[in-house]
Amino acid sequence: MKLALIGNQNSGKTSLFNALTGSNQKVGNWPGVTIDRVEGSIKKYHSTIVDLPGIYSLSPYTAEEEVSRQFILNEDLDLLINIVDATSLERSLYLTTQLLELNVDVVIAFNMYDLVEKKGIKIDIKKLSNELGATIIPISAKTGKGLDELKETIFKKKYLKNKHKKIYPSDIEKFIDDTIKFYNHPWKHKFHKRFEAIKVFEEDRDYKILLGDKLKAEHLLIEKKYAMDGEQLIASLRYDYIEKVRDKCVTYPPVKETKSDKLDKIFLHKIWAIPIFIVIMGLVYFLSISIVGGLTNNLISALFNGSESVKFTIGSFSWNAPIKLEGLGPLIARSLGNIGASKWAMSLVQTGVISGLAIVVSFVPQLICLFLCLAILETTGYMSRIAFFLDRIFHKLGLSGKSLIPFIVGAGCTVPGIMSTRTVEDENEKRVTIALVPFIPCNAKLTIISLISAAFFKQIGFLVALSFYFLAIVIIILSALFIKKVLKRKEHTTFISELPEYKSPNPIYIGRDVWDKTIAFFKRAATVVVFFSVIVWTLSSFTPSFQYIDGSKFTIEQSQLKYLGDGISWFFYFILGCRLDWAASVSALQGLIAKEQVISSMEVIARTSGAASIFAPGSPFAYFNPITAFAFASFNLFSIPCVGSLSAMRHELKSAKKMFIVIACELLFAWLLASLIGIWGVFIK
Amino acid sequence: MKKNKKVLLTKGQEGHLSDLRRGQKAVVLDFHNDNAALRRRLLDMGITKGVVIEIKKIAPLGDPIDISLRGYELCIRKIDMEGIDIKVI
Repeated sequence: MKLALIGNQNSGKTSLFNALTGSNQKVGNWPGVTIDRVEGSIKKYHSTIVDLPGIYSLSPYTAEEEVSRQFILNEDLDLLINIVDATSLERSLYLTTQLLELNVDVVIAFNMYDLVEKKGIKIDIKKLSNELGATIIPISAKTGKGLDELKETIFKKKYLKNKHKKIYPSDIEKFIDDTIKFYNHPWKHKFHKRFEAIKVFEEDRDYKILLGDKLKAEHLLIEKKYAMDGEQLIASLRYDYIEKVRDKCVTYPPVKETKSDKLDKIFLHKIWAIPIFIVIMGLVYFLSISIVGGLTNNLISALFNGSESVKFTIGSFSWNAPIKLEGLGPLIARSLGNIGASKWAMSLVQTGVISGLAIVVSFVPQLICLFLCLAILETTGYMSRIAFFLDRIFHKLGLSGKSLIPFIVGAGCTVPGIMSTRTVEDENEKRVTIALVPFIPCNAKLTIISLISAAFFKQIGFLVALSFYFLAIVIIILSALFIKKVLKRKEHTTFISELPEYKSPNPIYIGRDVWDKTIAFFKRAATVVVFFSVIVWTLSSFTPSFQYIDGSKFTIEQSQLKYLGDGISWFFYFILGCRLDWAASVSALQGLIAKEQVISSMEVIARTSGAASIFAPGSPFAYFNPITAFAFASFNLFSIPCVGSLSAMRHELKSAKKMFIVIACELLFAWLLASLIGIWGVFIK
Repeated sequence: MKKNKKVLLTKGQEGHLSDLRRGQKAVVLDFHNDNAALRRRLLDMGITKGVVIEIKKIAPLGDPIDISLRGYELCIRKIDMEGIDIKVI
């Protein structure tokens, strides 16, 4: 069987998809999480199921609606599963009335039915099912209630056939019949005649030319009679029909102030909303970087590289624990030495592989914490509030509150951030958002931020970390204003979005989300980062004539890497405070592959030089001061993103040329900014 | 940007959806709007002739507005509400 899952945004579609297929799609409590359609399989029943993007209507105006509409019309589907948020029935059934006009059977899954009962809404399911002419199964995708019944209904084919109920007044129904019968033209999709005849009546963009003279007269007469045009009339009549059905089958309890209203009095408060937002985001980053990061960073590093003692820090307090650890790297190197391995083989494992991996892994705990916090904010519905109250600001920039979602997702990883710009309806708005998302520090860039703020700004480390985010926001605002001025775009953007109710976070889905992101991060660390760490080690451990650099006869100053770095170090001259530094140059260059690679490369170079850590005496980076560090980090944060992001950008902009323009601007901008900071550092000395 | 002088509508008066204050309820009379996509979107979201809309929440910066209709809440910008004619009830 081939099934498709369709429903409004934020109706729990992805939750149901996960529950049916067992796969891990991302679930959030903001409208529009499914970016493109996703296919999954239910092996037990040899069926495939397609998760379509959340839509409110089968109109052709937004990319998501277009994707879903074309898919449903062109694909030979056995069944549509229409997921409905039972707590907002009227709006949800609007899409249902459209689906029932297609020549496909529809099963309606009434999601969040537990909430319906809790709210005291009484729905006569059997009666409603009869009225609509489609089977309804109440479910809760969150708790799993009703899912077995839904599966049984679908796969044992116990559902009602689509009867194509005539829901419009007789004159309109006559027009529909006439259009189907007499108007002799090749239907675009011959299986969906009723649907298409109604589109003809609505004068839908794709069906405008199909109206003949006789039908035109009939059409005009009806419009005159109801004093509405076809499109408005059909929408009104659908809602009239839904109201009628609702009155027959549903009883609502008396209206009272909901929990969401009470919470919004705080979170959307006129004065306090923005301070609360800043405090919440500040706490999220403080908890992740200063507490979790401070407690684990050195420990993990010591576990891999060995140390005489382990330093734990919480904010400005730190404690040096006298724990002596040999470390995984030295341990393996010693074992290799015992079985007679050569010096360079030991160094390859200890420095090339283990140290490179360690520096990335040591950031995993704080990233987990960050992912966890963001996932909680997302599923509870707070993110939707942020989009709502920041829309005014985004509007001024020529964007909408919806652009916030890509930025917040981008704070995790730029790639899905850029992909989620598909929920931005306006094409121009979307392009601007794509160009600006890479400015938000992603979690790979967070490794650079964490390193710099811990090494140079100790007590005020988390403030410096936050300052990078604020700098990013300032850059985004200025760039957006600049683009708006230069392109002189007409202000025609809109922001029409549902405000979902607050929900308690669902631990299962938060767990899945955090797990997925962590694994994705870890996989990159284990593959890309280790691969390039080994390359850096090789280039830094051998001279151009492949003599092993053991630190006595040759030093790292004679390495291949040095010669490579010398070739590009002019580019970083101003950034590094008027200094030609090959080591920092080659490290920054590697940011193109992955941003984690910058610090990983620095670590490998420092260790190959015999230094204990990146900025320790003896390291080529020992000259770094707070300002050089800030300038160097700024360049890495705001210049060209990694190759993964570039391919996502190219894909979403649908043009390599546009992508190159964007990255050229970003590179130039980052270079200017970082150079200015670097030069400033030279002057104040 | 200076705010336009705000018209205060009372029960029974007609005006635009954007003129309403928090807590006021109104019934939609008609649309006038030349942006086809926006018009369709508003219709799809349930803003049709005769529907009752209540102004629920206003964003801290004054825009957008959260309205309640057909048993759910919708955020919409003031500028997009200007094209919707209403009568206060």
